[in-house]
Amino acid sequence: MRILVVEDEHVLAAQLCEALSEAGYAVDVAHNGLDGYHLGAEESVDAVVLDLGLPHMDGITMLTKWRAAGRDMPVLILTARDDWHQKVAGIDAGADDYVTKPFHMEELLARVRALIRRAGGHASATLHCGPLTLDTRAGRLTIEGRAVPLTSHEYRVLAYLMHHTGEVVSRTELTEHIYAQDYDRDSNTIEVFIGRLRKKLPPGMIETVRGLGYRLVDGK
Amino acid sequence: MNLRDSLRLRLLAGSLVWIVVTLTVTGFVLTDLFRQHVAARFEAELQGHLDQLAAVFEFAEDGMPRLRAELSDPRLRLPYSGLYWQIDRAANGAAVGVLRSRSLWDSTLTVPADALADGQAHVHRVDGPDAAQLVMVERMIRPASRPETAYRLIVAADERAMTEPVAAFVGLLVRALAILAAGLVALVALQLYLGLMPLRRMREALATVRAGRSRQLAGRYPQEVQPLVDELNTLLRHDAEVVARARTQAGNLAHAVKTPLAILANAASREQGEFSRLVAEQAAIARRQVDYHLARARAAAATLVPGMHTPLRPALEGLVRVMRRLHAERELEIDVAQVPDKLGFAGEEQDLHEMLGNLLDNACKWARQRVVVNASLEGRTLAVRIDDDGPGLAPAEREAVFARGARADEQVPGSGLGLAIVRDLAHLYGGDVHLDVAPQGGLRVTLTLPAA
Repeated sequence: MRILVVEDEHVLAAQLCEALSEAGYAVDVAHNGLDGYHLGAEESVDAVVLDLGLPHMDGITMLTKWRAAGRDMPVLILTARDDWHQKVAGIDAGADDYVTKPFHMEELLARVRALIRRAGGHASATLHCGPLTLDTRAGRLTIEGRAVPLTSHEYRVLAYLMHHTGEVVSRTELTEHIYAQDYDRDSNTIEVFIGRLRKKLPPGMIETVRGLGYRLVDGK
Repeated sequence: MNLRDSLRLRLLAGSLVWIVVTLTVTGFVLTDLFRQHVAARFEAELQGHLDQLAAVFEFAEDGMPRLRAELSDPRLRLPYSGLYWQIDRAANGAAVGVLRSRSLWDSTLTVPADALADGQAHVHRVDGPDAAQLVMVERMIRPASRPETAYRLIVAADERAMTEPVAAFVGLLVRALAILAAGLVALVALQLYLGLMPLRRMREALATVRAGRSRQLAGRYPQEVQPLVDELNTLLRHDAEVVARARTQAGNLAHAVKTPLAILANAASREQGEFSRLVAEQAAIARRQVDYHLARARAAAATLVPGMHTPLRPALEGLVRVMRRLHAERELEIDVAQVPDKLGFAGEEQDLHEMLGNLLDNACKWARQRVVVNASLEGRTLAVRIDDDGPGLAPAEREAVFARGARADEQVPGSGLGLAIVRDLAHLYGGDVHLDVAPQGGLRVTLTLPAA
């Protein structure tokens, strides 16, 4: 899962980046409105953490333009402007959640997690697929109750597949959602992670759809 | 109403004075002119009779004075008719009433003693028969045939023949002038009504501004009033700008202070130990202080600007959309369907959002499944009721939650300032917040505000 953080305060952006990375997300950071807008408009991001007061383009304008262009990823507004009037304006511009500064990082993480989950149509924080149970809050995989350790990249690949159970996910799509933009991407590494995951999961759960990509099935 | 306090009364009183004075003087002048005219006519008529008397006066062959012909006026033959003549011998054996008109019957006219040259005429006022006041004209003649004797020819008429037409004229004149005065007063009143109409329109426009139905004095006014209206509009605009600036500055300050606070708190939460605990604690305190004072700063700007009208229903619906997002995990049912469309609040939309937002947010935090909002108009007061089906509050706890920074439960997120800020804002608008028991058993919060 790939998150875009648009925040002009560098220290806070770094803190957000660190906390989100630790939670298993690939994180892109933009420090001004224009960069943020282009990243959100052109890259495949699964959620956006958006400040409102930004240089070059304010958050509300950015959000309105994304929505007008048909970009429907969940957006969480993170701002110091805590009056309800602003909240109404933010939500009406197309935001999915609104957190005011100062905030508890845990709360922000929980809200981002919930946004991504709801965007995928999942009602619970725990994703299931056959014998697999992925607790997105704890970032933990269990197979029939037995905990299976995953590296951070393995977790990201599996989490993305589990959010899209039964769908064909291309390698490019996986790359886009697993790596941040400035990361040195190599789609061959995806094959490595898929290979490692196949060893940890019950056999046959990750199908290769030739020429298209991968599909997670419940194995029955 | 004091004369000093009312422009209309002043102008009306002024007009009344000149109307009464002018018409009174006019009345006196006209009456006097008429009286003089009637008197002149009256004396001319008597003079005419006297001339006629002198013309027919002669002496018979036996030397007795006589009239050659009867005088023409029939009143002279009617007893006490009010018109009389009489001839006295004034020299060579004076005698009163040598000849007299039939209308004198058995009385005579007494001439005041005076020395009258021949041919000279005098006018007197005397008592006549029948207790009437008479105007008398007399002339002394000395017939050419008998130069040794002198005769006083007298014609007299009842003064009432002169005074009665004057009295009738005065009566008519007074009525006519009274009608004229009434008409003029009515016209002056109409003129004042029309002339002061722009001021009344201005007052009504100001009332709509105060009631919140308009932000500016609308319409064109006469050039005498327009500068005042323009000044007022400038003042209103200036007030609105000051408030908007204050809000923007509050927002900027929030941004400037809260982002570093967020960074501090996040950095502290990543570390263990006394120092990070202290930083976290102080950052939390600073956050509350900033929240409180920002809310106060926003609230202070609230009631300064008259002319606000914020429809209740759209404000509520916007907030409900926010609540559905912020409390998406709770899957609450938030019902505002009962809120009538027409209700409005006489104040800033921002402030309405702030009050209702905090109250709805509280209700959503505590509700089990359902939040119901209703509203009604009670006189000039808008009453908004927000009910939840949560645990509610014991009567003893109700006042305590209004305390600055108080929270009923530290487990539910929030700065705990919500209710205090709502009450501060409501008080600024002359409204209030009451806590009670909702029909579903949870908390009912009733917010009363001035209606628009």
